[in-house]
Amino acid sequence: MPLFAVLAMLAPPYQIDSVRFRFTQYDQRGVGYQSAAGPVGQPGSEWETVQQPQAEVVAHVGERITERLWIPLDVITAASPDHSVYGLPVGAAPPDAVTTASRVNTAGSLDTLTTYRWDRATELSFRAALHLEEPFESWSYGLGATRSFAEDNTVLGVSVNQVVDWFDHFNLDGRRNGRVNRSTTNVNATLTQVLSPYTVAVLSYGGTLQLGTLGNTWSSVLLSDGSRGEERLPRQRLRNALSLRVAEWLPWNGALKLYYRAYLDDWSAHAHTIEANLLQRVFRGLNVRAEYRVHWQTAVRFYTEAGDPLASGYRTADSDLAHFVAQTIGGTISWDLELGGRVRDVHVDLGYEHYFRSNNLTVDIATCGFGLMF
Amino acid sequence: MRPGRQSGRWRRLICLAAAVGSLLGLTTVGGCVVVPQNRRKHLADPMMRFDDDGLEAHKRQKFYTTREAAAGGDGLPAGGGCGCQ
Repeated sequence: MPLFAVLAMLAPPYQIDSVRFRFTQYDQRGVGYQSAAGPVGQPGSEWETVQQPQAEVVAHVGERITERLWIPLDVITAASPDHSVYGLPVGAAPPDAVTTASRVNTAGSLDTLTTYRWDRATELSFRAALHLEEPFESWSYGLGATRSFAEDNTVLGVSVNQVVDWFDHFNLDGRRNGRVNRSTTNVNATLTQVLSPYTVAVLSYGGTLQLGTLGNTWSSVLLSDGSRGEERLPRQRLRNALSLRVAEWLPWNGALKLYYRAYLDDWSAHAHTIEANLLQRVFRGLNVRAEYRVHWQTAVRFYTEAGDPLASGYRTADSDLAHFVAQTIGGTISWDLELGGRVRDVHVDLGYEHYFRSNNLTVDIATCGFGLMF
Repeated sequence: MRPGRQSGRWRRLICLAAAVGSLLGLTTVGGCVVVPQNRRKHLADPMMRFDDDGLEAHKRQKFYTTREAAAGGDGLPAGGGCGCQ
């Protein structure tokens, strides 16, 4: 106790900058060949719902240090639909789950980010996070630095992140078969550039190397004889993504944001993503936003919907690794109310998005956020 | 390796290199522009932020990372950290 008292006395004063909450509901429907929750020889249900509450507190400690504490949760139904119960209609709620955790699986993280202002132009950051769910645990660490140039017209940022995952390996009959692991190493470089008094652009590159067991171990592959076999993935994946974002101020109190990303990995998947956001201030504090996004990707080279039962090479039937075109349309209304007292600003927003893709997956997303700025 | 697959890979690499070169060139040209602080009030407007808040950014990043093969390029890890991917 005396030690805690001394530490409390020595701790510099902190001040809370903001407290935010968000709740999001995902309602997913569709079918995929990796799921066996359906008729024999056909793709199975990908039905699931996810409830995702999040909370975040940002505070500064002294003049130079900013701390962010963030706790996201995910409550997921049917995370691993069972392959062992055949003959049910596609779209029906999966009756069982491969892992005992995933009839309703709760996942949570504790994520901290510390930012240190080295000088007027330079910031250093350190991130540490722990993620837990029943058959899975994960640690991640990250280091980052940003430096601004040319009267803050140019900002260069670099970061490196390391994620280590441990999880149970499941056979297709649901039996546990030891523990496996996965490593994800990621480097990012970001260049933010002011192009005019109304335009700013961000160019970003991300490279990621993943090693280890890169699947969830319970996805199955539909074979040409109607049976199902295990998914077999390479133990290494190198992913490259380059993105460009541009924001343009519009003279009628609006903003247009455009996004493009090119993606390439050594599993032979490549993709292009384009997104447009149009924001409009209706009156002071009240904003509306309309969003459209389209994503096109090729399948990985070993994707199959009718695998050879005698083949021994890599194979997957995961619909997320297939060729498809995905589109998202949505909108948000947000309101920022300036109070001017101890609570400087109150933020409320409501949003809805509809995600639909060409290989039979549809997700409705509803979200609401609430924040207090001090 | 089949010639068709090899040429396809080279084509994609050339496209990626061309995209990197052109975007870097564009940004370099932009780097010659210095907008003084007193002319950047519109850029400071909250509507011009690329990520409204960290919770909204997480919602989007996790949703797309877990449902599409392509991820990354947004300053965050592309994969790992969750049993869903």
